[in-house]
Amino acid sequence: MQLLIFYILAFGAVISALLMVTSKKPVSSAMSLIATMVFLAGLYVLLDAHLIAALQLIVYAGAIMVLFLFVIMLLNVDEKEGRMAGNTILLQFGAILAIGLVFIMMVSLVKSGGTLLVFGEGADQFGTTKAVGKLLFTEYLLPFEIASVLLLAAIVGAVILAKRRIDDPDQKERIIPGHKG
Amino acid sequence: MLADMIESIAKILFIFGMNIGFFAPVLGWVERKQSAVMQDRIGANRADIFGFTVIGLFHSIADAIKVLTKEDFIPTGANKFFHTAAPFISLVPAIVTFCVIPFGGRYTLFGHDVNLVISDLDVGLLFIFAFSSLATYGAVLGGWSSNNNWSLIGGLRASAQMLSYEVAMGLTIIGVLMVYGSLKLTEIGVMQENFFRWGIFMQPLGFVLFLTCAIAENKRAPFDVPEAESEIVAGYFTEYSGMKFVMFWMGEFLEIVTISGIVTTLFFGAWHLPFITDQMLLSFFQFAGSNGASILAMLVNIATFFIKVIFFIWMQMTIRWTLPRFRYDQVMKLCWKMILPLSLINIFITGLVFLR
Amino acid sequence: MNKMTDIDQKKCHPMVGVPIEKLRPKQVRKNLELTLWESLYIFEIIRGMYITTRHFVLNMIGFVFKPKGQKRRIFTVYYPEEKVTIPAAYRGRPVLVTWKNGKEKCVACGLCEKICPANAIMIVAEERDGSDRYPSAYTLDMSRCVYCGYCEEVCPKEAIVMSAEYQGLAERDRSKMIYSKEQLLRSEESVKDRIEYIRRIYSKCSY
Repeated sequence: MQLLIFYILAFGAVISALLMVTSKKPVSSAMSLIATMVFLAGLYVLLDAHLIAALQLIVYAGAIMVLFLFVIMLLNVDEKEGRMAGNTILLQFGAILAIGLVFIMMVSLVKSGGTLLVFGEGADQFGTTKAVGKLLFTEYLLPFEIASVLLLAAIVGAVILAKRRIDDPDQKERIIPGHKG
Repeated sequence: MLADMIESIAKILFIFGMNIGFFAPVLGWVERKQSAVMQDRIGANRADIFGFTVIGLFHSIADAIKVLTKEDFIPTGANKFFHTAAPFISLVPAIVTFCVIPFGGRYTLFGHDVNLVISDLDVGLLFIFAFSSLATYGAVLGGWSSNNNWSLIGGLRASAQMLSYEVAMGLTIIGVLMVYGSLKLTEIGVMQENFFRWGIFMQPLGFVLFLTCAIAENKRAPFDVPEAESEIVAGYFTEYSGMKFVMFWMGEFLEIVTISGIVTTLFFGAWHLPFITDQMLLSFFQFAGSNGASILAMLVNIATFFIKVIFFIWMQMTIRWTLPRFRYDQVMKLCWKMILPLSLINIFITGLVFLR
Repeated sequence: MNKMTDIDQKKCHPMVGVPIEKLRPKQVRKNLELTLWESLYIFEIIRGMYITTRHFVLNMIGFVFKPKGQKRRIFTVYYPEEKVTIPAAYRGRPVLVTWKNGKEKCVACGLCEKICPANAIMIVAEERDGSDRYPSAYTLDMSRCVYCGYCEEVCPKEAIVMSAEYQGLAERDRSKMIYSKEQLLRSEESVKDRIEYIRRIYSKCSY
């Protein structure tokens, strides 16, 4: 049963990933990527990592991809602007990289003796919110904090980029008489 | 095994029947009639069967017939696949999210342990957030695929608004999680057995902020800028007709029910009556035998839960028909400049008080 | 002086429909800056919800126990069964006013025909007994009429007024919408309110 669900999810993930690369419309690509994210979340659930699955849906499928779609819709990108596919050197480079990745995965799969798939073992140990939180705040505290500092720096950078310059007279906020806020 | 199956199927049927069979059609009527009574009007009362109007309730049936026989219209130049998929994307999360909300406690019936929640997930609350964040795509895609400028503006507004309020909503709920120390909604419910441990007394600010964010996330007035009918026709569902339109509409109503369920579970003692513990309830019904007492206690708890839910539905409807719409920049300012800092302050204070 | 009307003349204030004692400036809050209490939103929202809830509860009680002899709070009208009284300012179908003997007041001067922006009126003038002018045919094309009320404004004889008739203005056949003089004649009593009203708004009280 679990194996069947795994195959369904895995095929779904692979097919939607392929669709993402091959479809010409940016919105279709973005939606395929979202589908891939959802299928991956399903795979996480299958591996008893409920928290990671939920976070995958909230952060990637829910927040980041909405921003992607927002930008695509705001710029109203058409399929005519997708000229990257004509660049043969980049195409070859990407193909080589992809084949190399698949090769590495196959090697690791063969080396491990084909037992990468383990269902339902130690679900209470690592999948729960408590277990992940404990790991994050004890064993992996330093990487966690470094990542958070990195995010803080990114937020500050974004604010500075988006902020209006106060001394610039042209950029001063237009004041509507009688209105405030 | 068989008992488990029967139990889950019964629970699923109950929740689906309650949501799709009862709440979705009745809320359509409630929205019309309540707004009418509130504004000194009469409201829908014309549809009748053999002269009986049942204060306008038959309008739901008339609506259903009308909607099913309407043409399913796809505008020229629209993306057919996404135009068809968008209503489903917005309806399914609204239905699914209710499955982690407990509508009763744990009871022992005929030696079988019954837990009145469809799926008692360890990450219950995050599951709700995850699926409600997926509902954004319904609005965004519906707006984009309609090949209509008003729809596109509505979709853009919906994406920006829902994204912003999702962030704020996640932060408002952290105070509750810190108080009860769990993401499991059943555990949070069990911990509110004592009246003075209800979430509203622990997190009054959190309740106000969460309700605001939840209404904004549901895109209802005063936060209905994505569908602002006086500015952009009907926003992201301008080009929808027939059954697809109703799916957006049902999704909105089911989300009202879900929000009420979450608010009840997190802040208003879930299925508990004030000052009455489960033990007291069981001993009160002792005259019916142990099984009968369990059944009666279960019915009382379910009724309590749904009465609270109905109260919050009524409250959301009142808010919707009381307040005027915010301007779009005001919506954004409210989110990023008021709710977000306030929820951070709420988390900070909660941390000082409870964690010590 | 030639008698203009059968209705008694009455002194009216030229201000439309408002008695003088009620003409007081309303207090409008022009300062849009919110006070601290208001900028907290939440209490103002609760106040608003209190108002709507009060209306809700009172109306619900009114629905269940129908009040007798009281002014009802709900102003909606069950349209085909009940009808509202149309205010005098309402511009319905233009009609021709008659004297008590049933003869039209119109003297076929052609001013209304001239001013009509939609060219809806067509008059054929004739003389009666060698002195009185009267319209032998007065055709009003209701499919062209825009209900502007210019005809009654220019009319020197109060012969055409906008009545309160708002039903039967639409037809499935355009040829049925062209009305002849006989279909438009109304007695002066039936449009009394409107005549008094146009005397006020067009300052015709000096007649």
